[in-house]
Amino acid sequence: MAEETKEKNPEIVGFACSYCTFKASEMAGSLRMKYPEGVKLIQVPCSSRVDPAFVIKAVFEGADGVFVAGCHPGDCHFIKGNYYTRRKIVALKEMFDAFSMKEKLRLFWVSAAEARRFIDKVTTFYNDIKEKKNEREKA
Amino acid sequence: MKGKKLKSGEIENALNGFLKDEKHLVLGFKKDEGGVSHQIFKGNLDHYSLLNPVFGANAALYLRRLFSKGSQVMLMLRPCEIRAYVELHKLTQIEREDVIAVSIDCPGTVSSKENRSDVPTEAGELAEYFKNPDSMRWACSVCSEKRGVVGDAGIRIDNAGNYWLIPYTEKGESFLSDIEGESEDVPPEMLTAKEPKKDKFQVDMEIFNKDFEKCIMCMNCRDMCPVCYCIDCVFHGDEYLPKGDALLNKVFRTGSTKMPRGKELFHLIRMYHVSQTCVGCGACEEACPQGIPLTKYFKGVSERLQGIFSYMSGRSFEEPIPYVTFLEDELKDATD
Repeated sequence: MAEETKEKNPEIVGFACSYCTFKASEMAGSLRMKYPEGVKLIQVPCSSRVDPAFVIKAVFEGADGVFVAGCHPGDCHFIKGNYYTRRKIVALKEMFDAFSMKEKLRLFWVSAAEARRFIDKVTTFYNDIKEKKNEREKA
Repeated sequence: MKGKKLKSGEIENALNGFLKDEKHLVLGFKKDEGGVSHQIFKGNLDHYSLLNPVFGANAALYLRRLFSKGSQVMLMLRPCEIRAYVELHKLTQIEREDVIAVSIDCPGTVSSKENRSDVPTEAGELAEYFKNPDSMRWACSVCSEKRGVVGDAGIRIDNAGNYWLIPYTEKGESFLSDIEGESEDVPPEMLTAKEPKKDKFQVDMEIFNKDFEKCIMCMNCRDMCPVCYCIDCVFHGDEYLPKGDALLNKVFRTGSTKMPRGKELFHLIRMYHVSQTCVGCGACEEACPQGIPLTKYFKGVSERLQGIFSYMSGRSFEEPIPYVTFLEDELKDATD
């Protein structure tokens, strides 16, 4: 128990498209599936609403990881929003890579029916970040 | 490629002919006792200089919100300035109808901060002067495109020191027709050659924090950036950089903070926002009162980000800026 309290729990901010990923998270809730409580979802009308400035702000105001999640390419409610997201986030990842902090940002495609996939993606991300954070604490 | 060889004084004559019309202007360089500086000429040329070996500001900055009203402006500028103009045109900040953009081969420049009086203004002498790489501005020494191959026409300098006017668009052709002589084949070798590819930019946040230690958040870099064009910048409100009440509320919520706060936020967000349009001119570094190596970051990041989409800022009028377009079938490994 004492060992466990020493572990730091990371905070993760997720930008979730209200037509798919956010619906998937609600579905996961109604199916009583669990995902880590450190994950904070922010509902956005479309994943392309996420200005990379939001992600950068989240990272420098204390988030350990940020993910952007939207509908699968081709399934956007606004027809082409997530194609723009893909370009923007790929570029942002490249920029984070240039500053050696690539692991802090992820992009997921999760449709409204994929509650299981949402849980998997979020939990893997959370665990990876937590592992890295605790390694750094020890060092 | 066809072009016309320019005899000495011929370009000045052509520009003077162009300026005879009341509604015509030339934006170029003027040489006087104080050195070489930007000048908008009306009526006739006066102490005109084709090259400017001192970099102060990027002249595309003066062209934002230029609407076509039937006048004509001839830009006789460096390639980086013409490329910034091309980007601003794509961002709907400049209407192209009124502008004839001529890019001139750039042998490199020295910083306006250094106040050097011994810098020559002739192409051959400049090439000799810049044999010593320390005398050049850092941004210019790593510039990837010093050739005048952008805009409506270009003035190239060959190895023998001859000037060539080469048209790239219809407007360039009409400017070329003002000059006497026949078009001939342009020599393939020029004084300013294509630059080799460089290594990928890579740092970490520790180096970043060390470099930006001295930043006082005056935002001169944003104000002097030719392609940072938003009238209402995201940093004006209290969302990103709170001031006054908003700042105190923030500190009450989150705890003590070092001032000025938000350096990483400001520079990284700006770096992203100009990533596809940055021409690497180094005007930000020129404007920085603290001497922070901004070009290293902005140019390095923008080259990496433009590389993903095989884009180069200001290369052509037709290529759309990558963030405003997409292909359905691309970036397959985008997701994690």
